[in-house]
Amino acid sequence: MPEIDTEPFHRAVVALNGGPSDARIVRLVASLAARTKAELIAVHVVEIDWTLPLDADIAGRSEEVQRVLDSAEAIAEGVKVKMEPVLLQARDVAAAIVDEATERGADLLVVGLPYRKRFGGEFAIGRTIPYILQNAPCSVWVVREPMSEEPS
Amino acid sequence: MIGGRRPLQGRKPGDKRLRVERPHAPYFRYTGKGQLTAKEAASVPTTPGARLIARIRAIVLGRPLHQEAELGERLSKAKALAIFSSDAISSSAYATEEIILAFILGGAALAALGWSLPVAIAIAGLLAIVAFSYRQVCLAYPNGGGSYSVSKANFGRHASLVAASALLIDYNLTAAVSTSSAVEQIVSAFPALGDVRVLIGVGALALITLANLRGVREAGNIFAVPTYLFMFSAFAMIAIGAYRIVVLGEQHGPPPEVVAATAETAGATSVFLLLRAFASGAVALTGTEAIATGVPAFKPPESRNAATTLVVMAGVLAILFVGITFLATNFAIYPTVPELFGEVQHKTVIAQVAETVFGDSLLFYLFQAFTALLLFLAANTSFAAFPRLAAVLGEDGFFPRQFSLRGDRLAFSMGILLLGLIAASLVIIAGGRTHALIPLYAVGVFIDFTISQGGMIRHWLRTRERGWRYRLAINAVGCAATAVVAVVVTTVKFLDGAWFVVVLIPILVSMMLFIRREYDDQERELHVREDLVVEGPHREQRVVIPVNGVNRAVIQAVNFGRTMSRDVRAVFVTEDPEQGEAVRERWERQVPGVPLVIVESPYRAVISPVLAYLDVLDQAWPPDKEAPITIVVLPEYVARHWWERLLYNQTAKRLKAAILGREHTIIADVPYRREK
Repeated sequence: MPEIDTEPFHRAVVALNGGPSDARIVRLVASLAARTKAELIAVHVVEIDWTLPLDADIAGRSEEVQRVLDSAEAIAEGVKVKMEPVLLQARDVAAAIVDEATERGADLLVVGLPYRKRFGGEFAIGRTIPYILQNAPCSVWVVREPMSEEPS
Repeated sequence: MIGGRRPLQGRKPGDKRLRVERPHAPYFRYTGKGQLTAKEAASVPTTPGARLIARIRAIVLGRPLHQEAELGERLSKAKALAIFSSDAISSSAYATEEIILAFILGGAALAALGWSLPVAIAIAGLLAIVAFSYRQVCLAYPNGGGSYSVSKANFGRHASLVAASALLIDYNLTAAVSTSSAVEQIVSAFPALGDVRVLIGVGALALITLANLRGVREAGNIFAVPTYLFMFSAFAMIAIGAYRIVVLGEQHGPPPEVVAATAETAGATSVFLLLRAFASGAVALTGTEAIATGVPAFKPPESRNAATTLVVMAGVLAILFVGITFLATNFAIYPTVPELFGEVQHKTVIAQVAETVFGDSLLFYLFQAFTALLLFLAANTSFAAFPRLAAVLGEDGFFPRQFSLRGDRLAFSMGILLLGLIAASLVIIAGGRTHALIPLYAVGVFIDFTISQGGMIRHWLRTRERGWRYRLAINAVGCAATAVVAVVVTTVKFLDGAWFVVVLIPILVSMMLFIRREYDDQERELHVREDLVVEGPHREQRVVIPVNGVNRAVIQAVNFGRTMSRDVRAVFVTEDPEQGEAVRERWERQVPGVPLVIVESPYRAVISPVLAYLDVLDQAWPPDKEAPITIVVLPEYVARHWWERLLYNQTAKRLKAAILGREHTIIADVPYRREK
């Protein structure tokens, strides 16, 4: 792990999307938190569309959803950092992440960004990250996945 | 509503979110599809008593370690030399004394001065043969060539079990002999401690047991230091002593007590006596095989590094052993045994040699401390090796399976405890005297050497690798030499205690074969054919509920019984026909549809009439139909306090004990929990 010269954080919210970037950002943040004894909160949001009530029993029943948080917690434990897992159901992922971070008084919000291209070859950043960048009251780190292949 | 919570309002009016509770999270973690891994909290006991015990265990033994905490550190040659050879090198602390003692007890104390050194040199020659033979084992078995695995691979079950038994005996004796000798070294420096030597020995074993239960890392530097401290201080002692003898010409005559005691038998040296002395001194070879067993712990190239380390170890041991014997004979040192010196405090030969060389200085006390430390370390090596062998035997089905289970701290707790107990008993029985245990010691070691080398001969004949003839020749010489020594040691020490090992080995082998047969039988019994697809149950079931009247616990049991079969009946045993009638009247009114059988028991027995009734039911079953499964449902009242357990369910408990193991019978407890 290279030395990263940065302001220490005290409470970081790590937003997990269930993709391969989760392990990377948890490892990164946990190893930094291990030095400063910072508090970590892992948040995974399951989006509930408008056809279902918000309190529909979806996330609690899904092993796969539980596994997203459990694997993150295991990685953090591996470097002896305690991580509080939070599972949310919401209509909008980005708003839920920002609201949770705000309510918890986090001074850092970390999100992973998969490298995807829109049809036509243009890089696609999606809706979630721009919303977070615009609305999060704290610092935001966006960790982008490496490109799976060299761009032509 | 999930988890009974209301949605949380976000910053904007439409943003609502809901925290979903994760009830599994404190105890489990999802690690794969349909797969949970238990967290530490899931292993925490739930009752207050069990929690207290767990807390005490955590204080004494440390917190339970995670499976992944096991680490396989690779050892450099220098570190491995220290860690694996403490057992072998430490035997130089008592081997010389055993040779001299053999002469004294044979009535030829004066001959000891002239003959001990040649005997020691002969033993060093044997050591060279054994070391070169084991070097081959290191090269041929990179996964560790303990005599059990070598003989298992080459000879099969029986020979390998003989080897295993000899090893098990050996490890116990290593622990007991090394501890006793360590205590003797302490007592030699501080004679006032002589009266509490057994206590010190047992205390030390208890500490070593505890440390191992906590899971000590053998690879720690702390274990490498004592070996080198002893080695270098002993080399210094030999160098100074040899300088005084060879260059300065210092020579001591035998003490007057020895001359007086042996005046009549002076010079009576027979071949038998020499053989006895040789057999006694052969304990120096114990522990030589340790490196061959631990090959996988070396840094790569494992085999070659282990082989080199083994040769270096044998060299060091030979120099120490012959050197100490050389000093002892030239300084005319005798162990202070009652046969020569009357009732005086025992002072070991190595302590006297150190005192002669260093004088009554701090160096002497330091040397004694290093020697004792090394000997305790040698005892500790058994605490790693014995449980590991017991675990391997457990996995192979020759030892109870509990021996292959790791405890909270990843150590094989059962093996460690057993070794601690046996070694402590040996120390107590021998009164803390090393000499009393020695006759038992060398027998197993040489049986092991012989079987292992024999296995190697078979190995070369089978594999015929490049240069196999040369290698076979080395192992054949080793096998022949150790076989001869095994016979000699057993014969000349037979009455001193070697007989015990000769008797014990077949007993252990039969015991292990018996255990294996039991496990094999069980496996055959439980075996399910690979091609069998299990369909639904096809046997009929009936339910029998012993009742004590009509009450809530009974009703609950009856309702449960009805879910399993239509054939449900209650049995009420009573000595009073009127009471029986009263219960029947109430039963038929309140529990219609479930027949009640009243069993009048004029002899007031409760359990036997129920059993007899079950027998009658079995006999009444049509013989051409498959016997049904009888489910005995027992209503049980759950006690809230320990003292309540004495008040309730005593009959149910007796009934359960009586029915347990009955053919085609299942017991089902239906607990009734008090609401308030």
